[in-house]
Amino acid sequence: MADTKEMKAVLFGPVLANNPIALQVLGICSALAVTSSLKNALIMSIALTLVTAFSSFFISLIRNQIPSSVRIIVQMTIIASLVIVVDQVLQAFSYATAKELSVFVGLIITNCIVMGRAEAYAMKSPPLMSFLDGIGNGLGYSVVLLTVGFIRELFGKGSLFGVDIIPLVQDGGWYQPMGLLILPPSAFFIIGLFIWVLRTYKKDQVEAKA
Amino acid sequence: MSSNNESIGKTLSVVVALCLVCAIIVSFASVQLRPLQQANKNKDIQSNILAAAGIDKVENVLETFDAKIEARVVNMTTGEFVDTDPTIFDFEKSKYDAALSVSLQEKGVKDIAGIQRVTKESPVYISKKEDGSVDAIILPIQGYGLWGLMYGFISLESDGETVKGIIFYKHNETPGLGGEIQNPQWTATWEGKELPIQIVKGTAGNDEHKIDGLSGATLTSNGVDHAVDFWTGENGFGPFLAKVRKGALK
Repeated sequence: MADTKEMKAVLFGPVLANNPIALQVLGICSALAVTSSLKNALIMSIALTLVTAFSSFFISLIRNQIPSSVRIIVQMTIIASLVIVVDQVLQAFSYATAKELSVFVGLIITNCIVMGRAEAYAMKSPPLMSFLDGIGNGLGYSVVLLTVGFIRELFGKGSLFGVDIIPLVQDGGWYQPMGLLILPPSAFFIIGLFIWVLRTYKKDQVEAKA
Repeated sequence: MSSNNESIGKTLSVVVALCLVCAIIVSFASVQLRPLQQANKNKDIQSNILAAAGIDKVENVLETFDAKIEARVVNMTTGEFVDTDPTIFDFEKSKYDAALSVSLQEKGVKDIAGIQRVTKESPVYISKKEDGSVDAIILPIQGYGLWGLMYGFISLESDGETVKGIIFYKHNETPGLGGEIQNPQWTATWEGKELPIQIVKGTAGNDEHKIDGLSGATLTSNGVDHAVDFWTGENGFGPFLAKVRKGALK
């Protein structure tokens, strides 16, 4: 059984040191699409973290039974089932968000982070560690999503979680919202800056110059 | 790891067992959560009806809907109200029920809205003012846009001629182009226009029958145009609107 130190490394490693978006550059597409408001980013983060954790857990549970010829299909089936369940739950309890996230919840299935962790970690590791690894990578994804969502909503709409923070010009305030930040491409800039800051702070992430 | 994992028997049994378990989990979730999802959908439609009637930013949708909106069912051919209970009338389902709908092709009607069948009865929603007089008549409309059916509501003043608002709550149009049919700035241009409506390219100006088309979305604009024409025309709510114009609701 793994000791607590290793567990900690698996759980918190992906948050900054081995961030799935910033270092592994996985799961960029959904990070662009759902971060225009903080609430969507939060719900997407929770959904992805749960799916990654539980899919890794179940895949790891049956890893010794999975024939390697069909392992990708088996992983996909488990991931897809979990995503459908998450989608159904969202539609039942948070309809407005489900409507706004629409296709992106379904697209968690194809999110590289989920598949990547299943194939790279869960297939070789015991269930508990795989579960923690899933949570950890989900947290890493969440950190980036929430950061991007925070910046985009605050400076793009002048609000956070839908609550007005900065009075906008059109409502008689002083702040002229940055229209660009509402549009998906702005997330590229923010993720880029995020990676820059992260690599300035953690020099070992900088790729060796050719 | 055992080496016989790769045998055909093992592969098949793992896959079948896994599919079975996953199927059970997925169907269980879907069946258990369906009532809640349905309630959410109804609430969403009700808030759209309220928005079409010009009542937005509602705190409690169900309460406001009950207080302000009267749902009725009309016979599409005669335009008369019928006794069908609007709360259990399933508009979507009856469209595909041969006993409750007619095919436009059989009827010999040109299917301009691309909807193929129309129901014999349809719900209409009447929003009332404080004093009980009619504020708006809200009609469900559907039409084929560029990618698929667009579902919405058009609301008319009590004269049955003047548009009060239009709203689309479900569509597959391209975001940013056809998807702009949901843009409040565009739907606001409908207010005060008179039927029949024509969506035109360029500027409609102050013409009371013309609306600016959406740029980059000609086919979607045509779809909206046709949907409105169809549903306010003689094969849609025409007979009902004719009665409204004669003062049937007063």
